[in-house]
Amino acid sequence: MEPMVVVRNLAKTYHNNGRAIQAVTNVSFEIGEREIFSLLGPNGAGKTTTISMISGLLAPTAGDATIGGHSITREPLAAKRLLGVVPQEIALYPSLTARQNLEFFGRIYGLSGAELARRVDEVLDFTDLRERQNDRVDTFSGGMKRRVNIGVGLIHKPRLIYMDEPTVGIDPQNRRRVLDTVLRLREEMGMTVLYTSHLMEEVQEISDRVAIMDHGEIIALGTVGELIQKVGEEDRLIFSVGQQTPPETLLAAFRGVAGVTGVAFERRETAGNNGEAVDGDGKLTVVAKRGRKALPDLLRLANEAGLNVLSVEVREPDLEAVFLQLTGRALRD
Amino acid sequence: MLAKIRALIWLELYRTFTDRNALLILIVTPLALATIIGLAFSGFIGDGSNDVPIRDIPLAVVNLDEGIETLGNQINNGDIFIEILVPAGDTGETDENVLHLLTDAIALDDPDEARARVDRGDLTAAIIIPPDFSRNLTITPDRLTIEPASIEVYANPAMPISASIVRSIAAGIANQIATGNVTIAATIGYLVDQAQQNPLIGLRLLGEFEPDFSPAFDPANALITLETQTVQGEAVTTFNPLAMFGAGVSVMFMMFMAQASANGIMYERQNGTLQRLLATPTPRMVILLGKLAGTFASAVLQLVLLFIFLTLVGSLLSGQVRLIWGDNLLAIALAIGAAALAASGLGALLTALVRTPEQGNVVGTAVILAMSVLGGTFFSTEGLPILQTLRQFTLNYWSIDAFTRLSLGETNIGLHLLVLFGLGAVMFLLGVIIFNRRLDI
Repeated sequence: MEPMVVVRNLAKTYHNNGRAIQAVTNVSFEIGEREIFSLLGPNGAGKTTTISMISGLLAPTAGDATIGGHSITREPLAAKRLLGVVPQEIALYPSLTARQNLEFFGRIYGLSGAELARRVDEVLDFTDLRERQNDRVDTFSGGMKRRVNIGVGLIHKPRLIYMDEPTVGIDPQNRRRVLDTVLRLREEMGMTVLYTSHLMEEVQEISDRVAIMDHGEIIALGTVGELIQKVGEEDRLIFSVGQQTPPETLLAAFRGVAGVTGVAFERRETAGNNGEAVDGDGKLTVVAKRGRKALPDLLRLANEAGLNVLSVEVREPDLEAVFLQLTGRALRD
Repeated sequence: MLAKIRALIWLELYRTFTDRNALLILIVTPLALATIIGLAFSGFIGDGSNDVPIRDIPLAVVNLDEGIETLGNQINNGDIFIEILVPAGDTGETDENVLHLLTDAIALDDPDEARARVDRGDLTAAIIIPPDFSRNLTITPDRLTIEPASIEVYANPAMPISASIVRSIAAGIANQIATGNVTIAATIGYLVDQAQQNPLIGLRLLGEFEPDFSPAFDPANALITLETQTVQGEAVTTFNPLAMFGAGVSVMFMMFMAQASANGIMYERQNGTLQRLLATPTPRMVILLGKLAGTFASAVLQLVLLFIFLTLVGSLLSGQVRLIWGDNLLAIALAIGAAALAASGLGALLTALVRTPEQGNVVGTAVILAMSVLGGTFFSTEGLPILQTLRQFTLNYWSIDAFTRLSLGETNIGLHLLVLFGLGAVMFLLGVIIFNRRLDI
């Protein structure tokens, strides 16, 4: 069977003050019917640019893609008819009700009359919004807005739905609900899902296949199992070091320990008491074969370097470890 | 595609006219402003003395009336215009004739010179009294009826308000003369009938008849009002300040609305709904046209609502139902359409040229305020020669002048419509083309 999506050598170059910036380089992949395919990568990796080209918002500098056999460059309208879009932001009209938003976008997708009314009802049922259908969207909670946002992408019953980081900024309960919705789209509606995220846990949970992107290129592609196999039986050891910053000499010493294949340090900003940005706790991540065996040596080296380790967490192999091994950086860097 | 454009227009109208804050700004504020300014210039408020706000309108009176001799008396009705309008010498502050405050009239002999001075803008208008004016209006033993007579009011089209006032004054004086002559004709006709039926009455009249018709010609006995009749009996429409200021404020607020509506595309780009629309199977040109058609429809609806509400206010104040911009509904509809298209075009062009919605707000406000000041929204630019040139580059001037003319019963707004439709179409097209080229998200 012909794949639902075929991407061939897609590239996008921006020009800024005479300087060429390569946002996406030579990206190729295929997505089969009813497959959940995820693009995983840190912010700025090129995921959104790639998807924007596939959904016809950006003209590619080179290459092409087809959706259901229709080229996005030569038959953009036919390709777009098969595509539903769920953007990262809540792209709705807040002064309209949930039903009015669905009806409006339905009309823009060419639906009308009884067919439009039927589809709106189906989508309201699917997103569990029937009771609040006549309330303005600006009175909804963040999770409900997300559901309407997803509903608008489904209104014309697309064969392919693209969801751009749909769990950003919502609580764990609603996040769970969104992930369940993604799985239901495939199970109940037979849709193909193209999903982007920088959260490896959810990608790992829902995806059939994953493409890992960094600096505008796909650096790994396969099923979650295949990708994890790339790092073998390696564990991740995460050292919490509070406000301390380990010296480079210590990182080099860690790399010399038997079984260690990757070392990275990261410190994320958090909100202070008055809402201001403050430095959070530093985390030193080490990828190592038989991590538990390497742990005593690593703790000794840290102690010799004067680094006070507050806690150590040992994690089994996952996509985060794959990314760390492939790029030398943590996924959230 | 039409269904999609219709949906986009509905979206714009619904979002604009269901927003209470927007309605407060788009309808209530201009209505209140226009009413207050209109009242101030109408004399409805203040000390109630109905002070004349416009002074010293420059005008010329050209009396070509050859007069007529009847029963040994030389009559020249044209001289009455000179006597009433042209001050005799320097009367200074002691002059209590309101017309001498309102106008700055001079007498001229040559009608061509008067017209030329009006054309140059030195004079607002020239009242030209024809040679047969007295002959037509005076009864003689040979002719006991009066004939219609016409007076030419040659006015500067660039000064419609002052010209309208001059026309009203001329009509008022002419009416007074006509009234006097009709009184004489009726009285003499009646007495002649009586004398023919009863010779004794005729004989008594020969000895005692000393009629005094002067009160019939005394302007003091009849106020010159803005509601007058011409010599031919044709109704005269008078200047209503609410019509002009209402038009000025309505057009300015409509421009703000159109700019904000067009600028909404930038906000939609910021919050992602534009990208969502562009990802649908709809050509981007259709989306842009639909969005801007929504802006145009909102501008039209806003002006129609303001027209209705201003009419209600004007009717309440004057005590009679009167459409604020005149009775020619077709011309009003065309003027509203032209003004709305021009404002939408300006909004589209400004939006296409800026980079962010915030920038659009700042630039849009500055451009609209500048156009409003130059175009005569806040004060009349008639007496300021430099503004008379600059104002022609503003949408406000052409729109306000068109509505003011319509309110005066004039229909010569063809040039106005052409300018507004032309400017609107060009700016609209440029805006769509430039924006379309910048629409790679």
